[in-house]
Amino acid sequence: MSIAVRNVTKRFGNFTAIDDVSLEAHSGELLALLGPSGSGKTTLLRVIAGLEAADRGSVHYHDEDVTRRSARDRNVGFVFQHYALFRHMNVLENVAFGLRVRGVRGPTVTQRVRELLHLVRLESLERRYPSQLSGGQRQRVALARALAVQPKVLLLDEPFGALDAKVRVELRQWLRRLHEEIHMTSVFVTHDQEEAFEVADRVAVMNQGRIEQLGSPQEVFDHPANAFVMHFLGNVNVFHGRVHDGKAHLGGFELEVPEHADVDVSAAAVYVRPHELAIERSAASGRLPARVVRVHAAGPVAKVALRAEDFGLEIQVEMPVERLAALALATGEVVYVAPRRIRVFVPEAAEAALTPEYAI
Amino acid sequence: MSEPHLQFVAHDRRAAPSASTTTGVPAAASTRTLVPLRQSTRIAARSLGTTRAGDLTSGPGLRARATVTGTAAIEQVSSARAEARDAVPTNDLSNWKNAQQDPLWVRLTLIGLAVGSLLLLVIIPVANVFYQALSAGLHAYWDNLFNDPDTRHSIWLTLIVAPTAVGANLVFGVAAAWAIARFRFPGRSALTTLIDLPFAISPVVAGLQLVLLFGLRGYFGPWLREHDIHVIFALPGLILATMFVTLPFIARELIPVLEAIGPDEELAAVSLGARGWQVLWKITLPNIKWGLLYGILLCNARAMGEFGAVYVVSGHIPGQTQTMPLRVDRLFQGYNTPGSFALASLLMLLALVTLVLKTVLERRTQRELAEAAKLHTVEIES
Repeated sequence: MSIAVRNVTKRFGNFTAIDDVSLEAHSGELLALLGPSGSGKTTLLRVIAGLEAADRGSVHYHDEDVTRRSARDRNVGFVFQHYALFRHMNVLENVAFGLRVRGVRGPTVTQRVRELLHLVRLESLERRYPSQLSGGQRQRVALARALAVQPKVLLLDEPFGALDAKVRVELRQWLRRLHEEIHMTSVFVTHDQEEAFEVADRVAVMNQGRIEQLGSPQEVFDHPANAFVMHFLGNVNVFHGRVHDGKAHLGGFELEVPEHADVDVSAAAVYVRPHELAIERSAASGRLPARVVRVHAAGPVAKVALRAEDFGLEIQVEMPVERLAALALATGEVVYVAPRRIRVFVPEAAEAALTPEYAI
Repeated sequence: MSEPHLQFVAHDRRAAPSASTTTGVPAAASTRTLVPLRQSTRIAARSLGTTRAGDLTSGPGLRARATVTGTAAIEQVSSARAEARDAVPTNDLSNWKNAQQDPLWVRLTLIGLAVGSLLLLVIIPVANVFYQALSAGLHAYWDNLFNDPDTRHSIWLTLIVAPTAVGANLVFGVAAAWAIARFRFPGRSALTTLIDLPFAISPVVAGLQLVLLFGLRGYFGPWLREHDIHVIFALPGLILATMFVTLPFIARELIPVLEAIGPDEELAAVSLGARGWQVLWKITLPNIKWGLLYGILLCNARAMGEFGAVYVVSGHIPGQTQTMPLRVDRLFQGYNTPGSFALASLLMLLALVTLVLKTVLERRTQRELAEAAKLHTVEIES
């Protein structure tokens, strides 16, 4: 069943948590709401679940307007950030809770609960209490509990946020497999772009209560809609300069930007991802001379920090270790940095104040 | 046009996740120091619990433990672990303890002062009550308690007034604490302050205001007389006065517990289809049960022992409006010292039972809070 949010606004006092957002999750899709803290992603999820009431706008499940319906009657499965397991009940009772309060009695409950515990691979722990479980196990109990009432949609608030790195990676692969098994329309909130890209079918990048971009992970990463998205999705080198006549002027250094042939602005920002920079030994036009400051070769990707002394700025470059070995860089040596791919974001007048100094 | 400037900003997204998780531990801390943190919090919590119970008699050991808080504890525990692993024989720990210790004469003086004042102010008076009560023998003690109809009535009256007042405050306390901890509404801070008001008002004044309202010459006096309803100098007045002075206990105890537990479990229950009453009975009350019992206990102890407010509204009618504390006073004023002390010993017994239960419940409440905190922190071992 599809979920649609239409023109939803939610304020807390003077703070606008969601600002006129419209969004649709297709039937059977796994959609990620990705954004920094305070971007309104959790509030949006809670509005969808009915745990918060929108000030304006409407929420639809399939063709049905559920805006005025309480969380109890929306029949959603909601997984809380800290799982919110009932601490005085064991695993079995936790999962059975939703069925019991809906008046289901007898062996049906136990049978359904056992099925779910099998699904989340926790059969052996049904008598344990939440405090006796690890973070990953609690997470799966929360998921089983949410699925017990056979919800029409599944909503997850930072499902992996409170786990340590290793468990987090395992669980998100598991969640992806689970989603392929049960194919329920699901929306999850995360601030981790890696997580969103790995698990979700589509990603909505949120900032300051708005959706900046919506698309498949590939689309969003390869074609960021604006400077915010570019910043948010990983490390990036930023050069500030002027765009004029289809060229970006960065100090004494020029780059071709044919797609911006008709603009003339003095405060454009040029973005280059560290892996989209190449290091060359020879000088050429469009190559920036820089001195090697540090080389980190641990892991599959080598990171090189350079300093372009003419401009007094530091540049980060990433490359495969094989390439680094072939180059045999020495600290202090002068090389030439060539961008393979650049993106120029010309700030609109209104956006000019927002874009440059965003950092997390 | 100004000179085109060049600027480089490194934005590292990967630092974000650790910053927004809720460990409460600096991201830079290594896992080795993360694990002992939980132990140290437990130590700190335990030592806080003991100091709160007012246990001064255990001396320097307790004092040393109570000062182990925060970073000191982390360093201490982690260094102890590191030592154990490296198997390097050092005496860092004992040195550390010595550094915290005062000279012998200081310790003896302080312990002497504490024990002395405790003896003089608490232990001797308490022992004396029982001594006086039993001085004429067990038989006389029994006679004094249960063969004097007025004394018997006072016990019975207290057993009616106190539970009624506690029951009323239980309903009010849970409702008020729930409203204050879970909702933001206009007048919320005013309500929080109002709940504390009975603590600030002298009980005598509390009694007087009831007389001014419900007494014969009070605002409602004529109306009440017309309908033949007795409030002042009767049971309803006693209950009202007791309710007023014990109003804050339950709400005060519950607000921090509810706030620590947070609304998530209740919201989870709602999203699973539970109705309001189901949430209250199946989720909220089980979670706050120890804090609630603790509040009831304190409320009950105060309700049974209340003197000032009840004194004003009672009219001192023996066999009708004398609760136990009032009866103790009357017997004493009437030179019936053994009778007075016999009844006083009963109140004292109640106090001692309360104290034991209070210690137990306080520990349970602390555990309730600690568990709430634990379920909200990151799991390290998994």
